[in-house]
Amino acid sequence: MNWTCEQTEARLSDYLDGVLDAAEWSAFNHHVNTCERCTPLVAAVAHTLGGLYALEEVEPPPQLETAILTATLGVRSKWDVWAWLRTLQSPRFVYSMASVAATIVVLLTASGFNWRKPKLAELAPATIYRNTNSWAHVTYAHGVKFVSDLRVVYEIQSRINEAEPNPASREEMIPPSSPKKKEPGQTDNTNPASPKQQNRAYEIGKRLEVLASELPVLTGSFVERRMR
Amino acid sequence: MRRHTRRIFNICYRFTGNRTEAEDLSQEVFLRVYRTLGSYRSAHGGFATWMTSVTRNLLIDHYRRTKRDRVTDSLDDAMPVVESKESTARRPDQQALLGELSGQVQSALTRLSPELREAVILRDLQQLEYGEIQQVLAVPEGTVKSRINRGRIELARILQQMGVRPS
Repeated sequence: MNWTCEQTEARLSDYLDGVLDAAEWSAFNHHVNTCERCTPLVAAVAHTLGGLYALEEVEPPPQLETAILTATLGVRSKWDVWAWLRTLQSPRFVYSMASVAATIVVLLTASGFNWRKPKLAELAPATIYRNTNSWAHVTYAHGVKFVSDLRVVYEIQSRINEAEPNPASREEMIPPSSPKKKEPGQTDNTNPASPKQQNRAYEIGKRLEVLASELPVLTGSFVERRMR
Repeated sequence: MRRHTRRIFNICYRFTGNRTEAEDLSQEVFLRVYRTLGSYRSAHGGFATWMTSVTRNLLIDHYRRTKRDRVTDSLDDAMPVVESKESTARRPDQQALLGELSGQVQSALTRLSPELREAVILRDLQQLEYGEIQQVLAVPEGTVKSRINRGRIELARILQQMGVRPS
């Protein structure tokens, strides 16, 4: 491939930047080595590039930054309150303040603060803590009730009740000892028909434990069904 | 801000060859950027590219305004150019030669036409990629490459006319 002087000149920068492919590089070199016009041209441009790369950054005048700040922001006085207030209008500050205000509102509402009839005593830290604590416990209890009222929990409880032996029959197996005298306020264990009175919270806790232990079985059977 | 100040000042200085003009133009660039900040859109390129574009437009406007008043050899004022710290590592004779060549290259740059001059400054002095230069100059990439090539060749011819020969 023989290149002309015009082609060589047009691709001179590509040659110096090293982006010619092998065939182009070969054609370029072949022409430059045999052309009296292009040989000194390539050498001169290469030398010029070297001179350009050797140019170093110059230092700007030290007063330039100050001059730019004065020209753009104006002369700032230490006691310029309005300038300080204007900085509060920055979006970042406004967003931060809005999120802090929202957090305070949420905390005070959770602590039972009455916005219609506010009382200073309700803002005391101890009061806020006490109210928030009781609200958290009430929310927890509601959550537990909600979970236990779920259908799946109901079904699991039914399975457990089917699997467990009848508490009445268990009591039948225990040979009755000499009949005890029933004191007022005490339950009579000899009567198998009447269920034991248990604490509601204890019952819920027990069933949640059973649910946790049964859950791997349920998820396992669910996965089996899906894989079929 | 310091980084941008240094970069903008260097572009202005290399384009005008005059330190005082470069200082005034740099200030003008920042003032224009400050006033038109609302018009900047990140979809049009990075902030640095946008600032370079504003600088370039200002330089071209300044060139057209001062074309009639300009002397061909518009060069520096009497103030010496402060070299950056890396140059002190060279030998004194090397430093002297490079200093002389730098001055000659700067002088030759100011003799280039503005279109070729800005292309060479952005590519060979500011080390911008072709895509960035295309965004700054708002011309196709082919035109950018063509201007850079012609700028380098023209610069070499000017240096030859000034008596600067490759060793």
